[in-house]
Amino acid sequence: MNQIVSVGTSHHVAPIEFREKLAFSDEQLIEFLQRLHESDQVQEAVVLSTCNRVEVYALAHSVQNADAAAKMLVEFLARYHRIGVDSLKKWCYLHRNLETIQHLFRVTSSLDSMVVGESQILGQVKSAYDLSRSAGSVGVVLNRLFAKAFSVGKRIRSETTITTGAVSISYAAVELAKKIFNTLEGKTVAIIGAGEMSELTAKHLVANGAANVIVANRTYERAVTIAEKFNGTPHPYDSDLGFLVDADIVISSTNAPDYLIKRKPLVDIMRKRRHRYMFLIDIAVPRDIDPDVSKIDHAFLYNIDDLEAVVASNLKDRQHEAVRAEQIVSEEAKGFYSQLQTFQVNPTIKALHQQFQQIADTELQACFYKATLSDQQEAAVTSMTQAIVKKLLHHPMQNLRCAVNDGSIDHAQYVEALQELFALDVNDDNSEV
Amino acid sequence: MINFLFLLTLLIYLAASIFHTLSLAIGGRAEGSVIRPTIERIAFWSTIVGFVFLTLFIALWWLLQGHFPMTHWTDSIAFFAWAITLIYLLIVRLTHLRTLGSFVMPAAFIAILISYSFASHTAALPKPLQNYWLLAHTALIFLAYAAFIAAFGFGLMYLMAERKIRKKADALLDNLLPSLGISDELGYRCTILGVILLTMGVIVGSLWTQYIRDVPWRWVDAKVISTFVTLFIYVLQVGFRQFWGWHGRRAAYAAIVGFVAVLCTYVGVDLFLDSMHTYR
Repeated sequence: MNQIVSVGTSHHVAPIEFREKLAFSDEQLIEFLQRLHESDQVQEAVVLSTCNRVEVYALAHSVQNADAAAKMLVEFLARYHRIGVDSLKKWCYLHRNLETIQHLFRVTSSLDSMVVGESQILGQVKSAYDLSRSAGSVGVVLNRLFAKAFSVGKRIRSETTITTGAVSISYAAVELAKKIFNTLEGKTVAIIGAGEMSELTAKHLVANGAANVIVANRTYERAVTIAEKFNGTPHPYDSDLGFLVDADIVISSTNAPDYLIKRKPLVDIMRKRRHRYMFLIDIAVPRDIDPDVSKIDHAFLYNIDDLEAVVASNLKDRQHEAVRAEQIVSEEAKGFYSQLQTFQVNPTIKALHQQFQQIADTELQACFYKATLSDQQEAAVTSMTQAIVKKLLHHPMQNLRCAVNDGSIDHAQYVEALQELFALDVNDDNSEV
Repeated sequence: MINFLFLLTLLIYLAASIFHTLSLAIGGRAEGSVIRPTIERIAFWSTIVGFVFLTLFIALWWLLQGHFPMTHWTDSIAFFAWAITLIYLLIVRLTHLRTLGSFVMPAAFIAILISYSFASHTAALPKPLQNYWLLAHTALIFLAYAAFIAAFGFGLMYLMAERKIRKKADALLDNLLPSLGISDELGYRCTILGVILLTMGVIVGSLWTQYIRDVPWRWVDAKVISTFVTLFIYVLQVGFRQFWGWHGRRAAYAAIVGFVAVLCTYVGVDLFLDSMHTYR
């Protein structure tokens, strides 16, 4: 029977010193997969190797059970990387069948990532899968499994909000700006002062469409240096803040001990800019912008604490959503597993049906040959035979499918028994999978 | 039979209003996100079905009466609900923004409820009024009112979103309310649409009166005056926006004031004042 197993390590269980020993370069990955494939013990395999995790997914059908398959895989991996089997067992996790499926789904849904909801992992798994496919080690079962894993990853991203909501201050600023302006296209960003955080925020704003950057600094040379980074306009700092007339988003982070932007002058500026919205981000401590500014119509002021509160509330939301995502993953994994098993028993069911049908047909022909029956009688006998075949097969088939679905009994034993008892010739090539 | 159809429409509109309101109410909460897509779907499809039923009702009523049903004021208010839904569905079609429904669908439901509760099918439309002029005149004006209601909805959405942004911590949690820029812009477009439709409706009405019916134009008619006041409020709003940059918060308040004026023109005049427009 098919056994899907995975062996792997990740940032959750192993330090970087171990992960780097297990990591694969692209060439190594292909070489490893080809060797695995040639070994005849593994029919299909995919290797995923990123900076946070190294995982081998494999399908073995010539082994007795999943444990044997996992053991074989661990040994193979240890031999390839010349690591002791013991240390491999210490730092790695083993997954069997349903666990494997569930784990892969969690990975593609970014539930297993360092930052839950990050967006890169789906692409990483995709390219790992493509690479493994180019090594020729992917067949029908893993093909199906990974296709499903990608769709689960997408489903989680569209049905939960684990990927939405900024979890850093600079992204929170971008998202807030979008809540106000809808789009950052054509907007002007003004940076007052300097600092890593304000530059990072400006960078994100520009990456999201902001068109112009104005940099104001007490030292003009400093303004020029920063402005060059953004292809922006340097501006000498003047206390009447005239340059703010064109600014839609203002990021302030100076060392000034007092408020630089006060309510009164900003009211005038707002009038000059015809009350277009202004989003002010004050990341300086002590603050640069008078909190009273937020009372002005169409001026929205966020200080560093406000932004942190937004991030905290988003993180809480993500955790909440992650619980829901886990439920979806678990349901999908169970569904996929039972589907996979159904596909595994299907050839046997089909063979049994054919055998019964064949016997019925032969006997009918013999009967019609011996006795002369009217058309009506022939039809009646035929339909009776069909009914008998159907009813004879009903319970065995139902129980077999039940065994597959609830997993209480090892359906592999049933399948084997059926094949032996009825001398079925089952072509187990998974062509239907 | 026609009463039953109307009752059915009423109930579907009730469902549409409840589900629209519900989806807005649970919009900001993570716990609600499990069922929210389902609620939104029910809200939207009940709106579609309700609209089809209401259209059927009006068509049937038209056939039964033999002329455009605008005899009793309850007919007009049913048509008003139809216009509100039509404008809302057009906005959904163009912008994929369904949040507006949480504001306009309850209004449409209340309109149908009133129409259903007071419906009287006795009065007959005087012969000279039975023509397409009446249809054009009233349809244009009710579509204008519906556009103003949509602008009112966008105004409320703007104010809610602004409050949320000023409250800070949860500013990003809700993805149901559109950004300030969008609410403001769409509200403005609805206002413009309303102004155009209302102006056309008034022109059609005056042409009809003067040239077709040959009735002298009366300025001193409560409905006429009140309509001009309403139109003036909206034109003023558009002008202020163009020349002094009155948008955002001020536009939102103006949309609310304008909506009150619409209500006064539509309901107030009918109930308390005498006019040649009064339904009898």
